[in-house]
Amino acid sequence: MIAYKFLQPDGTSPFSGFRWTLPEEGAPGQWVEAAVDPCRSGVHACRVSDLPFWAGRTLYEIELDGEVVEHRRKLVGSRGRLLRRIEAWDDDLRDAYTRACADRAHELAFSVSPPLEHWDAVVEPAVGGGPALLGFVAARIAEEISGPAAYRDERYKQASWLAGHLGLDG
Amino acid sequence: MAEPADHITCEEVVALVSDYLDGALPPEQVELFEQHLNFCEGCGAYVEQMRTTVAAVGRIREEDLPADTLDRLLAAFRDWRRQ
Repeated sequence: MIAYKFLQPDGTSPFSGFRWTLPEEGAPGQWVEAAVDPCRSGVHACRVSDLPFWAGRTLYEIELDGEVVEHRRKLVGSRGRLLRRIEAWDDDLRDAYTRACADRAHELAFSVSPPLEHWDAVVEPAVGGGPALLGFVAARIAEEISGPAAYRDERYKQASWLAGHLGLDG
Repeated sequence: MAEPADHITCEEVVALVSDYLDGALPPEQVELFEQHLNFCEGCGAYVEQMRTTVAAVGRIREEDLPADTLDRLLAAFRDWRRQ
């Protein structure tokens, strides 16, 4: 199964600190094996729909093999290896996505009367916090207006934006 | 059954941090906890500070402490509980 994984620039996982062997010159990284126990052990990865929740610095395509468990916002496999870095997820695209989320957050905040000015006020200061933060802010404003389904719908739109700009299926 | 929450707050991160570091949170809560850390720089720093503190303090045994330090710590905890 093909999935996606965000890593730190040095190739480590943001939460476990595990250092992956990165693909080089078209060759995949080494297989990594771990017992499947979601959030504790296993190879954790994203479906396209999960990308906004885990947006980070570098993005890789990962092949999962063996047992694969579908969790609410992630996949967990017993084996995985990095196939290629998704070069399109660079500083420019991260900035563009962050800006798109910020613009959407402003739009949402002013879509109701009276406008949610206290929410709108947090948007621009949050831009420096990066794509994951702005995605959350936009979804939270949608939730504030229309409830939890709107939060999820906003996340779906963010995933579609990312899939379109990264050329991913899903 | 009620649908699970889509996110947690900074206050909830503070309340859950010990269980998170102990590996005692259920997977659904770990997922929400880590999603929060992924975008909240302040909570990320807080969790790292707690992790460092636990790693350092966890190596100190009761018998390593001078008696007066132990007494002062016990008194401080008693006062804190009364509050």
